Amino acid sequence: MFALLEQAGFRRVKSVVVPGFRFRNQGTQNSAEAYGVKAVLFTAEKPME
Amino acid sequence: MTETPIRSIADEQESLEANLKDEILRMYDEVAEQPDGDFHFYHGRDAAERFGYDPALLDRAAPGAVASFAGVGCPHERSRVEEGMTVLDLGSGAGLDGILASWATGPSGHVIGVDMNPAMLQRAALHAEASGARIEVREGRMEDIPVEDDSVDVAISNGVINLSFRKRRVLRELFRVLKPGGRISITDIVSAKQLSQSIVNDPKLWAS
Repeated sequence: MFALLEQAGFRRVKSVVVPGFRFRNQGTQNSAEAYGVKAVLFTAEKPME
Repeated sequence: MTETPIRSIADEQESLEANLKDEILRMYDEVAEQPDGDFHFYHGRDAAERFGYDPALLDRAAPGAVASFAGVGCPHERSRVEEGMTVLDLGSGAGLDGILASWATGPSGHVIGVDMNPAMLQRAALHAEASGARIEVREGRMEDIPVEDDSVDVAISNGVINLSFRKRRVLRELFRVLKPGGRISITDIVSAKQLSQSIVNDPKLWAS
């Protein structure tokens, strides 16, 4: 996503992992962890010019 | 002569997208209609508090908007929305994020909620009204955002972009609608590894 945002033209792209995110169902959470699935907060700006 | 493989991949993706759209509509309707239901993900007030939403603001919002919340984080944490701004809530759902943005922009601001689900847009408008907020709801898809070029100060989105097969296009659309100097604050699900084909081909897993 980070790279896609830059490719779209965004600048000052920043990301931080959402600490409280997890799936309720333990099986789903285990699979998510195996794939490195995380919730992330992205911020970015459209340049002035 | 047989059909080219490229066409067949495109057909397959089109069919998968159609299934995914149906499954997403079904899933979010279910969350809105049965907020006490058993889902893979945390939702409602439990989820909102887990992600850092201010409990006082949750108390002030229409209970239906809070109960139907199905985000994956808190985009407001870094959105820096100010009075008078125009805010786009992409995938506005039952309206909680739009309501919070509307309170931040005040009466001189403008919040546009875009969602592909007309029933959800209706809910968002009702929840906004009941919360003393104003959200202009527009039906549309995130790949073709029904918003004018260079018109938005801040775009927020919560757990929605990962549902699209065309993320590049969604991000280009967000870039298009933002004013120069405008910004995004979006929370979403990302995966460090390529998902297996069985996951990619299962709309139920995508939607959850």
